[in-house]
Amino acid sequence: MVTKTEERELNQLENQVENGGGGVWEYLCLVRKLKVRRSEMVLKHGLSILNDPGKRSSLGPDEWTLYEQVAVAAMDCQSLAVAQNCIKVLQKKFPESKRVGKLEALLIEAKGMWEEAEKAYSILLEDNPLDQVIHKRKVAMAKAQGKPSLAIERLNKYLEVFMADHDAWRELAEIYVSLQMYKQAAFCYEELILSQPTLPLYHLAYADILYTIGGLENLIAARKYYAATIDLTGGKSTRALLGICLCGSAIAQLSRGRNKEDKDMAAPELQSLAATALEKEYKQKAPAKLNLLTSALRSLKMS
Amino acid sequence: MNLGFVIGVLGVLILSHAAYSTIQYRGLLKITEEEFTGPPLNVVVELIVGLALCMWAALTFPGKFLSIHPDSDENRAVSLPDNSDFMIFNHRGRLFPPEITMKF
Repeated sequence: MVTKTEERELNQLENQVENGGGGVWEYLCLVRKLKVRRSEMVLKHGLSILNDPGKRSSLGPDEWTLYEQVAVAAMDCQSLAVAQNCIKVLQKKFPESKRVGKLEALLIEAKGMWEEAEKAYSILLEDNPLDQVIHKRKVAMAKAQGKPSLAIERLNKYLEVFMADHDAWRELAEIYVSLQMYKQAAFCYEELILSQPTLPLYHLAYADILYTIGGLENLIAARKYYAATIDLTGGKSTRALLGICLCGSAIAQLSRGRNKEDKDMAAPELQSLAATALEKEYKQKAPAKLNLLTSALRSLKMS
Repeated sequence: MNLGFVIGVLGVLILSHAAYSTIQYRGLLKITEEEFTGPPLNVVVELIVGLALCMWAALTFPGKFLSIHPDSDENRAVSLPDNSDFMIFNHRGRLFPPEITMKF
């Protein structure tokens, strides 16, 4: 996960590199460490280093990691010739390498030749049947071909073996959400919260899903998770504050015809506190949009 | 060899000197067959000075402390890593390849 200081550093380095201020290698290392997807920038500036034999040799053994990074970025930007060249250089240096084999299969996948890519991955799997990355690439291929049910089936089989892989659980949750299978997505997010309870982003996503499913119990649970997110982020999550206001108004609407005990679930103080916090934040960060916010909040309280 | 390290070494030396004096004092008491109620006053002062120096060195020598608040800027997760293991190349951006030159 990317922290606030790291994000600031990344943006600062990006600005510096874009305006020609140097620091390209630090930027590339930071992108690799944070695992963010900045393919165009990586391609442009990575190539600027690789094209210059002086800078290339000054990297030493890190040169090959840079080739790999630029190859993947080139595939993402559909510059397949660049990717082909990088892989050729890597093949010359490391013949018979599984890592380069994976890159080759990735290139076949990027070209859109799905059957050959499946064949290449099965050959790689024969040597190493428990390779996590290759299993995940097969799931990605099913997703890219537009077969989400096949992707779900493969991903479920993968997760039976590698239950601790957070990225895979997240991917499964996102595929379920894209297919509107919200209950299964909620299950995935519950797994994620269990494994990393201090990460507020999971609580936030889970609360969003519960709010989407709807129904009084789910709305109350969603409000609890929005509150947990606010607790974990120290009140800096605007989305969670808005979530509490929306949940509050939805609960009030649903429990309008019920008797007194259910009406106590409304928790008006929580809603008004969240509203005040939101107004303060908007006043600070986007004062032009403050009246939009106040009118929206007022309409929520009415309904 | 910055100041913190030197002060830390000095503090440890003062503490060990205080320990040695206490042992010598106890030996003296054994000769005169008196009870050992506590180290003499100068040893106590030496101990306090040694404690202060060691604590100061322990706080300054290791360098910058990491934050433990979950919502401080260092620890606050702003975004999760983009799942690059599941990255697909079949997106709309593939119709706009950038113009690049390649010389290898």
